[in-house]
Amino acid sequence: MPQVRLRYFALFREQAGCREEEFATSAPTPGLLYEELATRHGFRLGRAQLKVAINGAFADWGTPLADGDEVVFIPPVAGG
Amino acid sequence: MPAFEFSKAQLDPAALARSLADPAAGGFASFEGWVRNHDAGQPVTGLDYEAFEELAVAEGDRIVAAAMQRHGVRAARCVHRVGALGIGELAVWVGAAAAHRAEAFAACREIIDEIKHRLPIWKKEHYQSGDSGWVNCERCAEAGPAHADEPAGDARFDYARQMALPEIGAAGQRRLTAASVVVIGAGGLGCAVLAALAGAGVGTLHVVDDDRVEASNLPRQPLYTTADLGRPKAEAAAQRLAAYNPRITVHAHAVRLSAANAAALVMAGDVIVDCSDNFAAKFLINDTAVLAGRPAVLASVHQYEGQVQVVRAESGGSCLRCLWPEATRDGLVGNCVAAGVLGPVPALLGQLQAIEALKILLDLPGQLRDELLLVDLLGVELRRLRVPRASECAGRCTRIGPAAAETPAAELEITLPLAAAAAQGYRIIDIREPDECHSEPLGLTGHMAMPMATLLAGPAALDPDARYLLVCTRGARSLATARELRAGGCRNVWSLRGGLLHAAGGTQPGRS
Ligand SMILES: [Zn+2]
Repeated sequence: MPQVRLRYFALFREQAGCREEEFATSAPTPGLLYEELATRHGFRLGRAQLKVAINGAFADWGTPLADGDEVVFIPPVAGG
Repeated sequence: MPAFEFSKAQLDPAALARSLADPAAGGFASFEGWVRNHDAGQPVTGLDYEAFEELAVAEGDRIVAAAMQRHGVRAARCVHRVGALGIGELAVWVGAAAAHRAEAFAACREIIDEIKHRLPIWKKEHYQSGDSGWVNCERCAEAGPAHADEPAGDARFDYARQMALPEIGAAGQRRLTAASVVVIGAGGLGCAVLAALAGAGVGTLHVVDDDRVEASNLPRQPLYTTADLGRPKAEAAAQRLAAYNPRITVHAHAVRLSAANAAALVMAGDVIVDCSDNFAAKFLINDTAVLAGRPAVLASVHQYEGQVQVVRAESGGSCLRCLWPEATRDGLVGNCVAAGVLGPVPALLGQLQAIEALKILLDLPGQLRDELLLVDLLGVELRRLRVPRASECAGRCTRIGPAAAETPAAELEITLPLAAAAAQGYRIIDIREPDECHSEPLGLTGHMAMPMATLLAGPAALDPDARYLLVCTRGARSLATARELRAGGCRNVWSLRGGLLHAAGGTQPGRS
Protein backbone atom coordinates (compact mmCIF):
# COMPACT_ATOMS: atom_id res chain seq x y z
CA MET A 1 0.00 0.00 0.00
CA PRO A 2 1.49 3.35 -0.99
CA GLN A 3 2.21 5.62 1.92
CA VAL A 4 1.37 9.21 0.91
CA ARG A 5 1.69 12.55 2.64
CA LEU A 6 -1.54 14.56 2.50
CA ARG A 7 -1.79 18.35 2.71
CA TYR A 8 -5.12 20.03 3.23
CA PHE A 9 -6.18 23.58 2.40
CA ALA A 10 -9.18 25.69 3.43
CA LEU A 11 -12.34 23.58 3.84
CA PHE A 12 -10.39 20.36 3.77
CA ARG A 13 -8.16 21.50 6.60
CA GLU A 14 -11.25 22.34 8.68
CA GLN A 15 -13.06 19.11 7.87
CA ALA A 16 -10.02 16.88 8.31
CA GLY A 17 -9.08 18.74 11.49
CA CYS A 18 -5.40 18.87 10.50
CA ARG A 19 -3.08 20.53 7.98
CA GLU A 20 -1.32 17.37 6.97
CA GLU A 21 -1.19 13.65 7.63
CA GLU A 22 0.66 10.52 6.57
CA PHE A 23 -1.75 8.02 5.14
CA ALA A 24 -1.45 4.45 3.91
CA THR A 25 -3.93 3.95 1.09
CA SER A 26 -5.02 1.06 -1.05
CA ALA A 27 -6.24 3.56 -3.68
CA PRO A 28 -4.22 3.42 -6.90
CA THR A 29 -5.17 6.97 -7.99
CA PRO A 30 -5.89 10.34 -6.32
CA GLY A 31 -9.51 10.04 -7.51
CA LEU A 32 -10.08 6.90 -5.47
CA LEU A 33 -7.95 8.30 -2.65
CA TYR A 34 -10.30 11.30 -2.47
CA GLU A 35 -13.33 8.97 -2.25
CA GLU A 36 -11.64 7.14 0.59
CA LEU A 37 -10.84 10.38 2.44
CA ALA A 38 -14.29 11.83 1.77
CA THR A 39 -15.76 8.94 3.71
CA ARG A 40 -13.14 9.18 6.45
CA HIS A 41 -13.33 12.99 6.97
CA GLY A 42 -16.77 13.82 5.60
CA PHE A 43 -15.54 15.92 2.65
CA ARG A 44 -18.59 17.23 0.81
CA LEU A 45 -17.17 18.86 -2.32
CA GLY A 46 -17.63 16.92 -5.54
CA ARG A 47 -14.40 16.03 -7.37
CA ALA A 48 -15.29 18.35 -10.23
CA GLN A 49 -15.11 21.23 -7.79
CA LEU A 50 -11.60 20.78 -6.51
CA LYS A 51 -8.08 20.23 -7.75
CA VAL A 52 -5.44 17.76 -6.79
CA ALA A 53 -1.72 18.40 -6.96
CA ILE A 54 0.89 15.66 -6.67
CA ASN A 55 4.43 16.64 -5.73
CA GLY A 56 3.87 20.31 -6.46
CA ALA A 57 2.01 20.09 -9.79
CA PHE A 58 -1.66 19.78 -10.68
CA ALA A 59 -2.42 16.19 -11.64
CA ASP A 60 -5.23 14.22 -13.29
CA TRP A 61 -7.49 12.21 -11.04
CA GLY A 62 -6.30 9.02 -12.77
CA THR A 63 -2.56 9.52 -12.25
CA PRO A 64 -1.03 6.43 -10.55
CA LEU A 65 0.01 7.08 -6.96
CA ALA A 66 3.49 6.14 -5.84
CA ASP A 67 4.90 5.55 -2.40
CA GLY A 68 6.06 8.82 -0.82
CA ASP A 69 3.93 11.11 -3.01
CA GLU A 70 2.78 14.38 -1.54
CA VAL A 71 -0.89 14.81 -2.41
CA VAL A 72 -2.63 18.17 -1.95
CA PHE A 73 -6.36 18.76 -2.30
CA ILE A 74 -7.21 22.35 -3.19
CA PRO A 75 -10.73 23.74 -3.03
CA PRO A 76 -11.66 27.06 -4.59
CA VAL A 77 -11.98 29.89 -2.05
CA ALA A 78 -13.81 33.16 -2.44
CA GLY A 79 -13.29 35.33 0.63
CA GLY A 80 -12.20 38.91 0.19
CA MET B 1 -19.67 67.41 -35.64
CA PRO B 2 -18.72 65.41 -32.52
CA ALA B 3 -19.81 66.83 -29.17
CA PHE B 4 -16.32 66.30 -27.79
CA GLU B 5 -13.09 65.81 -29.69
CA PHE B 6 -9.36 66.12 -29.45
CA SER B 7 -7.36 68.18 -31.92
CA LYS B 8 -3.69 67.98 -32.76
CA ALA B 9 -4.00 71.20 -34.77
CA GLN B 10 -4.45 74.78 -33.51
CA LEU B 11 -8.01 75.75 -32.69
CA ASP B 12 -9.90 78.51 -34.51
CA PRO B 13 -12.41 80.02 -32.04
CA ALA B 14 -14.28 81.97 -34.71
CA ALA B 15 -14.88 78.88 -36.81
CA LEU B 16 -15.86 76.89 -33.74
CA ALA B 17 -18.39 79.57 -32.73
CA ARG B 18 -19.82 79.62 -36.26
CA SER B 19 -20.29 75.84 -36.12
CA LEU B 20 -22.87 76.35 -33.36
CA ALA B 21 -24.78 79.10 -35.22
CA ASP B 22 -28.52 78.59 -34.95
CA PRO B 23 -31.28 81.06 -35.89
CA ALA B 24 -33.29 80.03 -32.81
CA ALA B 25 -30.42 80.77 -30.43
CA GLY B 26 -30.46 84.14 -28.71
CA GLY B 27 -27.44 83.58 -26.50
CA PHE B 28 -24.00 82.11 -27.08
CA ALA B 29 -21.28 81.61 -24.44
CA SER B 30 -17.82 80.22 -24.90
CA PHE B 31 -14.89 79.44 -22.66
CA GLU B 32 -11.26 79.35 -23.72
CA GLY B 33 -8.50 77.72 -21.67
CA TRP B 34 -5.09 79.22 -22.48
CA VAL B 35 -1.57 78.05 -21.69
CA ARG B 36 -0.20 80.40 -19.03
CA ASN B 37 3.43 81.18 -18.36
CA HIS B 38 3.57 80.07 -14.74
CA ASP B 39 2.30 77.32 -12.47
CA ALA B 40 2.75 77.00 -8.72
CA GLY B 41 5.23 79.84 -8.76
CA GLN B 42 7.43 78.31 -11.46
CA PRO B 43 7.86 79.97 -14.85
CA VAL B 44 6.47 77.66 -17.55
CA THR B 45 7.75 77.79 -21.12
CA GLY B 46 5.28 75.40 -22.72
CA LEU B 47 3.47 72.15 -22.22
CA ASP B 48 2.38 68.85 -23.73
CA TYR B 49 -1.13 67.51 -23.39
CA GLU B 50 -1.66 63.79 -23.40
CA ALA B 51 -4.99 61.99 -23.10
CA PHE B 52 -6.35 58.49 -22.79
CA GLU B 53 -8.40 59.28 -25.87
CA GLU B 54 -10.54 56.17 -26.10
CA LEU B 55 -12.01 56.75 -22.68
CA ALA B 56 -11.92 60.55 -22.74
CA VAL B 57 -13.89 60.90 -25.98
CA ALA B 58 -16.73 58.68 -24.79
CA GLU B 59 -16.82 60.43 -21.43
CA GLY B 60 -16.51 63.89 -23.03
CA ASP B 61 -19.48 63.16 -25.28
CA ARG B 62 -21.51 62.16 -22.25
CA ILE B 63 -20.55 65.34 -20.40
CA VAL B 64 -21.64 67.58 -23.28
CA ALA B 65 -24.86 65.59 -23.82
CA ALA B 66 -25.70 65.75 -20.12
CA ALA B 67 -25.08 69.52 -19.92
CA MET B 68 -27.18 70.14 -23.04
CA GLN B 69 -30.03 68.18 -21.59
CA ARG B 70 -29.81 69.65 -18.10
CA HIS B 71 -29.70 73.27 -19.26
CA GLY B 72 -31.83 72.89 -22.37
CA VAL B 73 -29.29 74.42 -24.74
CA ARG B 74 -29.66 74.03 -28.50
CA ALA B 75 -26.06 73.21 -29.35
CA ALA B 76 -22.80 72.70 -27.50
CA ARG B 77 -19.37 71.27 -28.18
CA CYS B 78 -15.92 71.05 -26.73
CA VAL B 79 -12.53 70.64 -28.41
CA HIS B 80 -9.38 69.86 -26.42
CA ARG B 81 -5.85 70.13 -27.77
CA VAL B 82 -3.32 67.32 -27.48
CA GLY B 83 0.38 67.56 -28.24
CA ALA B 84 2.86 70.39 -27.73
CA LEU B 85 1.50 73.87 -26.96
CA GLY B 86 3.25 77.21 -26.48
CA ILE B 87 2.43 80.02 -24.03
CA GLY B 88 -0.82 81.78 -24.92
CA GLU B 89 -2.09 78.97 -27.12
CA LEU B 90 -5.69 77.89 -26.90
CA ALA B 91 -5.77 74.53 -25.06
CA VAL B 92 -9.49 73.93 -24.73
CA TRP B 93 -12.59 75.54 -26.23
CA VAL B 94 -16.17 75.11 -25.04
CA GLY B 95 -19.19 76.74 -26.63
CA ALA B 96 -22.92 76.60 -25.98
CA ALA B 97 -25.79 78.21 -27.88
CA ALA B 98 -29.22 78.52 -26.29
CA ALA B 99 -32.45 80.46 -26.55
CA HIS B 100 -31.31 82.69 -23.64
CA ARG B 101 -27.95 83.66 -22.14
CA ALA B 102 -28.48 82.02 -18.74
CA GLU B 103 -28.64 78.49 -20.17
CA ALA B 104 -25.66 79.16 -22.43
CA PHE B 105 -23.49 80.38 -19.53
CA ALA B 106 -24.56 77.50 -17.27
CA ALA B 107 -23.96 74.77 -19.84
CA CYS B 108 -20.60 76.21 -20.81
CA ARG B 109 -19.49 76.38 -17.18
CA GLU B 110 -20.68 72.85 -16.44
CA ILE B 111 -18.93 71.38 -19.47
CA ILE B 112 -15.53 72.88 -18.71
CA ASP B 113 -15.77 72.00 -15.01
CA GLU B 114 -16.72 68.40 -15.75
CA ILE B 115 -14.10 68.02 -18.49
CA LYS B 116 -11.39 69.24 -16.12
CA HIS B 117 -12.71 67.07 -13.34
CA ARG B 118 -13.43 63.81 -15.09
CA LEU B 119 -11.41 63.31 -18.25
CA PRO B 120 -8.13 61.41 -18.26
CA ILE B 121 -6.00 64.24 -19.63
CA TRP B 122 -2.52 65.07 -18.38
CA LYS B 123 -0.23 67.95 -19.07
CA LYS B 124 3.51 67.95 -18.93
CA GLU B 125 4.80 71.40 -18.02
CA HIS B 126 8.18 72.57 -19.23
CA TYR B 127 9.76 74.99 -16.77
CA GLN B 128 12.24 77.74 -17.46
CA SER B 129 14.68 75.85 -15.25
CA GLY B 130 14.78 73.12 -17.91
CA ASP B 131 12.85 70.69 -15.71
CA SER B 132 9.46 69.36 -16.56
CA GLY B 133 6.65 67.71 -14.64
CA TRP B 134 3.41 65.91 -15.32
CA VAL B 135 0.26 67.38 -13.88
CA ASN B 136 -3.01 65.52 -13.81
CA CYS B 137 -5.53 68.08 -14.95
CA GLU B 138 -8.28 66.43 -13.00
CA ARG B 139 -6.31 66.96 -9.87
CA CYS B 140 -5.78 70.64 -10.68
CA ALA B 141 -9.50 71.09 -10.91
CA GLU B 142 -10.17 69.21 -7.70
CA ALA B 143 -7.52 70.94 -5.68
CA GLY B 144 -8.86 74.31 -6.77
CA PRO B 145 -7.00 77.49 -5.86
CA ALA B 146 -5.02 75.74 -3.11
CA HIS B 147 -3.07 74.00 -5.84
CA ALA B 148 -1.25 77.20 -6.65
CA ASP B 149 0.53 77.04 -3.29
CA GLU B 150 1.83 73.52 -3.73
CA PRO B 151 5.46 73.16 -4.62
CA ALA B 152 5.99 71.86 -8.14
CA GLY B 153 6.42 68.11 -8.10
CA ASP B 154 4.64 68.13 -4.74
CA ALA B 155 7.29 67.44 -2.12
CA ARG B 156 4.54 66.57 0.36
CA PHE B 157 4.14 63.14 -1.29
CA ASP B 158 7.47 62.10 -2.63
CA TYR B 159 8.08 58.89 -4.59
CA ALA B 160 11.87 59.17 -4.21
CA ARG B 161 12.46 55.78 -2.54
CA GLN B 162 10.55 53.91 -5.19
CA MET B 163 12.08 55.96 -8.02
CA ALA B 164 15.50 55.06 -6.68
CA LEU B 165 14.89 51.50 -7.86
CA PRO B 166 16.82 51.16 -11.11
CA GLU B 167 13.91 49.37 -12.81
CA ILE B 168 11.53 52.25 -12.00
CA GLY B 169 13.16 55.68 -12.02
CA ALA B 170 11.36 58.76 -13.35
CA ALA B 171 10.12 56.94 -16.45
CA GLY B 172 8.50 54.21 -14.38
CA GLN B 173 6.91 56.78 -12.11
CA ARG B 174 5.42 58.55 -15.15
CA ARG B 175 3.97 55.21 -16.29
CA LEU B 176 2.30 54.81 -12.93
CA THR B 177 0.94 58.37 -13.05
CA ALA B 178 -0.58 57.67 -16.44
CA ALA B 179 -1.99 54.30 -15.34
CA SER B 180 -5.49 53.44 -14.22
CA VAL B 181 -6.36 50.47 -12.02
CA VAL B 182 -9.87 49.24 -11.25
CA VAL B 183 -10.21 47.58 -7.83
CA ILE B 184 -13.41 45.59 -7.44
CA GLY B 185 -14.26 45.11 -3.78
CA ALA B 186 -13.09 47.45 -1.03
CA GLY B 187 -12.96 44.94 1.84
CA GLY B 188 -9.94 43.29 3.44
CA LEU B 189 -8.12 42.62 0.18
CA GLY B 190 -9.29 45.84 -1.45
CA CYS B 191 -8.15 48.13 1.37
CA ALA B 192 -4.63 46.72 1.14
CA VAL B 193 -4.52 46.91 -2.65
CA LEU B 194 -5.90 50.45 -2.76
CA ALA B 195 -3.56 51.80 -0.09
CA ALA B 196 -0.54 50.24 -1.78
CA LEU B 197 -1.42 51.46 -5.27
CA ALA B 198 -2.31 54.94 -4.02
CA GLY B 199 1.01 55.10 -2.22
CA ALA B 200 2.85 53.95 -5.33
CA GLY B 201 1.28 56.83 -7.26
CA VAL B 202 -1.00 54.99 -9.68
CA GLY B 203 -2.60 58.09 -11.20
CA THR B 204 -6.18 56.90 -11.41
CA LEU B 205 -7.89 54.43 -9.12
CA HIS B 206 -11.44 53.19 -9.51
CA VAL B 207 -13.03 51.77 -6.35
CA VAL B 208 -16.03 49.53 -7.00
CA ASP B 209 -18.11 48.35 -4.05
CA ASP B 210 -21.80 48.61 -3.26
CA ASP B 211 -21.50 47.72 0.43
CA ARG B 212 -21.61 50.07 3.38
CA VAL B 213 -19.04 50.14 6.17
CA GLU B 214 -19.96 47.81 9.03
CA ALA B 215 -18.42 47.49 12.47
CA SER B 216 -17.24 43.95 11.70
CA ASN B 217 -15.24 45.31 8.70
CA LEU B 218 -13.07 47.69 10.71
CA PRO B 219 -10.54 45.22 12.21
CA ARG B 220 -9.12 44.32 8.78
CA GLN B 221 -10.19 47.30 6.63
CA PRO B 222 -8.08 50.21 7.86
CA LEU B 223 -9.23 52.67 5.19
CA TYR B 224 -12.35 53.16 7.30
CA THR B 225 -12.87 54.63 10.74
CA THR B 226 -15.75 54.30 13.17
CA ALA B 227 -16.98 57.63 11.82
CA ASP B 228 -17.54 55.93 8.44
CA LEU B 229 -19.99 53.32 9.78
CA GLY B 230 -22.97 53.13 7.45
CA ARG B 231 -21.29 55.09 4.63
CA PRO B 232 -20.87 53.55 1.18
CA LYS B 233 -17.45 51.89 1.17
CA ALA B 234 -16.52 53.14 -2.29
CA GLU B 235 -17.12 56.74 -1.22
CA ALA B 236 -15.34 56.47 2.14
CA ALA B 237 -12.37 54.69 0.56
CA ALA B 238 -12.07 57.19 -2.28
CA GLN B 239 -12.16 60.14 0.10
CA ARG B 240 -9.56 58.60 2.38
CA LEU B 241 -7.24 57.71 -0.50
CA ALA B 242 -7.51 61.16 -2.07
CA ALA B 243 -6.58 62.71 1.27
CA TYR B 244 -3.71 60.23 1.69
CA ASN B 245 -2.19 61.02 -1.71
CA PRO B 246 -3.41 64.29 -3.24
CA ARG B 247 -1.38 63.57 -6.38
CA ILE B 248 -3.77 60.89 -7.61
CA THR B 249 -7.41 60.77 -8.68
CA VAL B 250 -9.78 58.28 -7.11
CA HIS B 251 -13.19 57.50 -8.56
CA ALA B 252 -15.87 55.92 -6.35
CA HIS B 253 -18.36 53.52 -7.95
CA ALA B 254 -20.90 52.59 -5.27
CA VAL B 255 -22.52 50.03 -7.54
CA ARG B 256 -22.86 46.28 -7.52
CA LEU B 257 -20.82 44.64 -10.27
CA SER B 258 -23.21 43.14 -12.81
CA ALA B 259 -23.21 41.88 -16.37
CA ALA B 260 -24.59 45.27 -17.38
CA ASN B 261 -21.77 47.39 -15.93
CA ALA B 262 -18.80 44.99 -15.85
CA ALA B 263 -17.46 45.79 -19.31
CA ALA B 264 -17.53 49.55 -18.79
CA LEU B 265 -15.80 49.24 -15.41
CA VAL B 266 -13.17 46.82 -16.67
CA MET B 267 -12.41 48.97 -19.71
CA ALA B 268 -11.56 51.88 -17.40
CA GLY B 269 -8.48 50.07 -16.09
CA ASP B 270 -5.11 49.10 -17.48
CA VAL B 271 -5.19 46.38 -14.81
CA ILE B 272 -8.19 44.98 -12.95
CA VAL B 273 -7.75 43.78 -9.36
CA ASP B 274 -10.38 41.37 -8.08
CA CYS B 275 -10.94 41.80 -4.36
CA SER B 276 -14.48 40.48 -4.40
CA ASP B 277 -15.71 37.90 -1.93
CA ASN B 278 -17.90 35.66 -4.09
CA PHE B 279 -17.57 33.43 -7.12
CA ALA B 280 -20.28 35.07 -9.16
CA ALA B 281 -18.21 38.28 -9.13
CA LYS B 282 -14.91 36.47 -9.69
CA PHE B 283 -16.16 34.65 -12.79
CA LEU B 284 -17.72 37.84 -14.13
CA ILE B 285 -14.48 39.77 -13.59
CA ASN B 286 -12.47 36.96 -15.18
CA ASP B 287 -14.72 36.66 -18.22
CA THR B 288 -14.97 40.41 -18.77
CA ALA B 289 -11.23 40.95 -18.40
CA VAL B 290 -10.52 38.07 -20.78
CA LEU B 291 -12.94 39.49 -23.32
CA ALA B 292 -11.64 43.04 -22.97
CA GLY B 293 -8.02 41.89 -23.13
CA ARG B 294 -7.15 43.44 -19.76
CA PRO B 295 -4.87 41.77 -17.20
CA ALA B 296 -6.67 40.77 -14.01
CA VAL B 297 -5.14 39.99 -10.63
CA LEU B 298 -7.48 37.71 -8.69
CA ALA B 299 -7.25 36.73 -5.04
CA SER B 300 -9.33 35.05 -2.37
CA VAL B 301 -8.78 34.36 1.29
CA HIS B 302 -10.05 31.72 3.67
CA GLN B 303 -9.25 31.88 7.39
CA TYR B 304 -5.42 31.66 7.42
CA GLU B 305 -4.90 30.98 3.70
CA GLY B 306 -5.22 32.60 0.36
CA GLN B 307 -4.91 32.07 -3.38
CA VAL B 308 -3.65 34.46 -6.04
CA GLN B 309 -4.01 34.06 -9.79
CA VAL B 310 -2.99 36.55 -12.48
CA VAL B 311 -5.00 36.26 -15.69
CA ARG B 312 -3.21 37.42 -18.83
CA ALA B 313 -5.52 36.20 -21.56
CA GLU B 314 -4.45 39.11 -23.79
CA SER B 315 -1.02 37.53 -24.07
CA GLY B 316 -2.08 33.90 -24.21
CA GLY B 317 -2.33 33.15 -20.48
CA SER B 318 -4.72 30.85 -18.69
CA CYS B 319 -7.75 32.11 -16.80
CA LEU B 320 -9.92 31.38 -13.76
CA ARG B 321 -12.12 29.00 -15.74
CA CYS B 322 -9.09 27.07 -16.94
CA LEU B 323 -8.51 26.35 -13.23
CA TRP B 324 -12.13 25.93 -12.12
CA PRO B 325 -14.03 24.80 -15.19
CA GLU B 326 -17.16 23.88 -13.26
CA ALA B 327 -19.22 26.86 -12.26
CA THR B 328 -18.30 26.85 -8.60
CA ARG B 329 -21.29 27.82 -6.59
CA ASP B 330 -21.14 30.23 -3.73
CA GLY B 331 -22.25 28.53 -0.56
CA LEU B 332 -20.35 25.33 -1.34
CA VAL B 333 -17.12 26.93 -0.22
CA GLY B 334 -16.76 29.25 2.71
CA ASN B 335 -16.53 33.02 2.67
CA CYS B 336 -15.21 35.28 5.42
CA VAL B 337 -18.62 35.83 6.98
CA ALA B 338 -19.22 32.12 7.50
CA ALA B 339 -15.68 30.84 7.90
CA GLY B 340 -13.95 33.72 9.68
CA VAL B 341 -10.67 35.33 8.71
CA LEU B 342 -7.60 36.70 10.48
CA GLY B 343 -7.12 40.38 9.54
CA PRO B 344 -3.50 40.30 8.36
CA VAL B 345 -4.31 37.43 5.94
CA PRO B 346 -6.31 39.52 3.46
CA ALA B 347 -3.89 42.41 4.11
CA LEU B 348 -0.94 40.26 3.02
CA LEU B 349 -2.77 38.76 0.05
CA GLY B 350 -3.82 42.27 -1.01
CA GLN B 351 -0.21 43.42 -0.88
CA LEU B 352 0.73 40.47 -3.09
CA GLN B 353 -1.96 41.58 -5.54
CA ALA B 354 -0.67 45.15 -5.49
CA ILE B 355 2.85 43.94 -6.20
CA GLU B 356 1.66 41.87 -9.18
CA ALA B 357 -0.36 44.85 -10.49
CA LEU B 358 2.69 47.12 -10.22
CA LYS B 359 4.87 44.49 -11.92
CA ILE B 360 2.45 44.48 -14.84
CA LEU B 361 2.21 48.30 -15.04
CA LEU B 362 5.99 48.70 -14.80
CA ASP B 363 6.83 45.68 -16.92
CA LEU B 364 8.98 44.26 -14.13
CA PRO B 365 10.36 40.73 -14.40
CA GLY B 366 9.05 37.69 -12.52
CA GLN B 367 5.36 38.29 -13.10
CA LEU B 368 3.04 35.57 -11.84
CA ARG B 369 1.19 34.05 -14.77
CA ASP B 370 -0.28 30.67 -15.65
CA GLU B 371 0.03 29.81 -12.00
CA LEU B 372 -1.96 29.51 -8.82
CA LEU B 373 -0.12 30.88 -5.83
CA LEU B 374 -1.17 29.15 -2.62
CA VAL B 375 -0.39 31.05 0.56
CA ASP B 376 -0.66 29.15 3.85
CA LEU B 377 0.03 31.44 6.78
CA LEU B 378 -0.37 28.77 9.46
CA GLY B 379 2.23 26.62 7.76
CA VAL B 380 4.09 29.77 6.58
CA GLU B 381 4.36 28.34 3.10
CA LEU B 382 4.06 29.67 -0.44
CA ARG B 383 3.45 27.24 -3.29
CA ARG B 384 3.23 27.95 -6.99
CA LEU B 385 1.25 25.48 -9.07
CA ARG B 386 1.20 25.73 -12.86
CA VAL B 387 -2.22 26.35 -14.42
CA PRO B 388 -2.09 25.56 -18.13
CA ARG B 389 -4.58 27.01 -20.55
CA ALA B 390 -7.50 24.56 -20.83
CA SER B 391 -8.10 23.56 -24.42
CA GLU B 392 -11.87 23.92 -24.03
CA CYS B 393 -12.06 26.84 -21.65
CA ALA B 394 -15.50 28.32 -21.06
CA GLY B 395 -13.81 31.61 -20.15
CA ARG B 396 -12.99 32.06 -23.88
CA CYS B 397 -9.35 32.69 -23.08
CA THR B 398 -8.37 30.20 -25.75
CA ARG B 399 -10.20 32.21 -28.37
CA ILE B 400 -8.45 35.47 -27.64
CA GLY B 401 -5.04 35.98 -29.15
CA PRO B 402 -2.71 38.93 -28.65
CA ALA B 403 -3.48 40.22 -32.13
CA ALA B 404 -7.20 40.15 -31.52
CA ALA B 405 -6.95 42.04 -28.27
CA GLU B 406 -4.99 44.75 -30.03
CA THR B 407 -7.45 45.45 -32.84
CA PRO B 408 -7.55 49.22 -32.46
CA ALA B 409 -10.86 50.75 -31.44
CA ALA B 410 -10.68 53.12 -34.41
CA GLU B 411 -11.10 50.17 -36.79
CA LEU B 412 -14.06 48.79 -34.90
CA GLU B 413 -16.04 51.84 -33.87
CA ILE B 414 -18.51 53.88 -35.83
CA THR B 415 -20.13 57.16 -34.83
CA LEU B 416 -23.47 57.44 -36.54
CA PRO B 417 -27.08 57.96 -35.46
CA LEU B 418 -28.78 54.57 -35.44
CA ALA B 419 -31.38 55.51 -38.03
CA ALA B 420 -28.63 56.70 -40.40
CA ALA B 421 -26.68 53.48 -39.84
CA ALA B 422 -29.76 51.44 -40.69
CA ALA B 423 -30.31 53.57 -43.79
CA GLN B 424 -26.72 52.88 -44.85
CA GLY B 425 -27.39 49.15 -44.71
CA TYR B 426 -25.93 48.27 -41.31
CA ARG B 427 -27.93 45.58 -39.57
CA ILE B 428 -28.30 46.73 -35.98
CA ILE B 429 -27.90 44.21 -33.16
CA ASP B 430 -28.90 45.30 -29.67
CA ILE B 431 -26.55 43.24 -27.47
CA ARG B 432 -27.95 44.43 -24.14
CA GLU B 433 -29.63 42.05 -21.72
CA PRO B 434 -33.42 41.60 -22.17
CA ASP B 435 -34.28 43.67 -19.07
CA GLU B 436 -32.19 46.58 -20.34
CA CYS B 437 -33.82 46.41 -23.79
CA HIS B 438 -37.17 46.39 -22.11
CA SER B 439 -36.58 49.35 -19.79
CA GLU B 440 -34.86 51.45 -22.47
CA PRO B 441 -35.98 50.44 -25.97
CA LEU B 442 -33.81 51.36 -28.95
CA GLY B 443 -36.64 53.23 -30.60
CA LEU B 444 -36.04 51.46 -33.92
CA THR B 445 -37.84 48.75 -35.80
CA GLY B 446 -36.29 45.92 -37.75
CA HIS B 447 -33.21 45.51 -35.56
CA MET B 448 -32.11 42.28 -33.88
CA ALA B 449 -31.90 41.80 -30.13
CA MET B 450 -29.26 39.30 -29.09
CA PRO B 451 -27.52 39.56 -25.68
CA MET B 452 -23.73 39.65 -25.80
CA ALA B 453 -23.29 36.09 -24.50
CA THR B 454 -25.78 34.67 -27.03
CA LEU B 455 -24.09 36.46 -29.90
CA LEU B 456 -20.64 35.29 -28.84
CA ALA B 457 -21.89 31.74 -28.43
CA GLY B 458 -23.37 31.65 -31.92
CA PRO B 459 -21.61 34.03 -34.31
CA ALA B 460 -22.29 31.51 -37.11
CA ALA B 461 -25.81 32.95 -37.25
CA LEU B 462 -24.34 36.14 -38.75
CA ASP B 463 -24.64 36.53 -42.52
CA PRO B 464 -21.11 36.90 -43.90
CA ASP B 465 -22.35 39.27 -46.61
CA ALA B 466 -24.09 41.68 -44.25
CA ARG B 467 -22.59 44.51 -42.16
CA TYR B 468 -23.50 44.45 -38.48
CA LEU B 469 -23.48 47.32 -36.02
CA LEU B 470 -23.50 46.23 -32.36
CA VAL B 471 -25.15 48.52 -29.83
CA CYS B 472 -25.08 48.61 -26.03
CA THR B 473 -25.57 51.33 -23.43
CA ARG B 474 -22.12 52.92 -23.38
CA GLY B 475 -20.31 51.23 -26.24
CA ALA B 476 -17.90 49.23 -24.06
CA ARG B 477 -19.63 45.85 -24.29
CA SER B 478 -20.29 46.30 -28.00
CA LEU B 479 -16.62 47.18 -28.58
CA ALA B 480 -15.41 44.14 -26.65
CA THR B 481 -17.90 41.91 -28.47
CA ALA B 482 -16.98 43.27 -31.90
CA ARG B 483 -13.34 42.77 -31.03
CA GLU B 484 -13.90 39.15 -30.09
CA LEU B 485 -16.04 38.44 -33.12
CA ARG B 486 -13.28 39.91 -35.29
CA ALA B 487 -10.81 37.64 -33.52
CA GLY B 488 -13.06 34.72 -34.40
CA GLY B 489 -12.92 35.68 -38.08
CA CYS B 490 -16.04 37.87 -38.51
CA ARG B 491 -14.77 40.82 -40.53
CA ASN B 492 -18.19 42.46 -40.82
CA VAL B 493 -18.98 43.67 -37.30
CA TRP B 494 -18.62 47.16 -35.87
CA SER B 495 -19.49 48.83 -32.59
CA LEU B 496 -21.51 52.00 -32.06
CA ARG B 497 -19.07 54.33 -30.33
CA GLY B 498 -20.39 55.60 -26.99
CA GLY B 499 -23.46 53.36 -27.32
CA LEU B 500 -26.98 54.57 -26.83
CA LEU B 501 -25.89 57.37 -24.48
CA HIS B 502 -23.83 58.80 -27.29
CA ALA B 503 -26.59 58.35 -29.85
CA ALA B 504 -28.89 60.26 -27.49
CA GLY B 505 -26.45 63.18 -27.51
CA GLY B 506 -27.53 64.01 -31.05
CA THR B 507 -24.21 63.82 -32.84
CA GLN B 508 -24.02 64.16 -36.58
CA PRO B 509 -22.91 61.50 -39.06
CA GLY B 510 -19.20 60.85 -39.40
CA ARG B 511 -16.70 58.17 -38.61
CA SER B 512 -14.87 58.31 -35.33
ZN1 LIG C 1 -9.43 29.96 -19.52
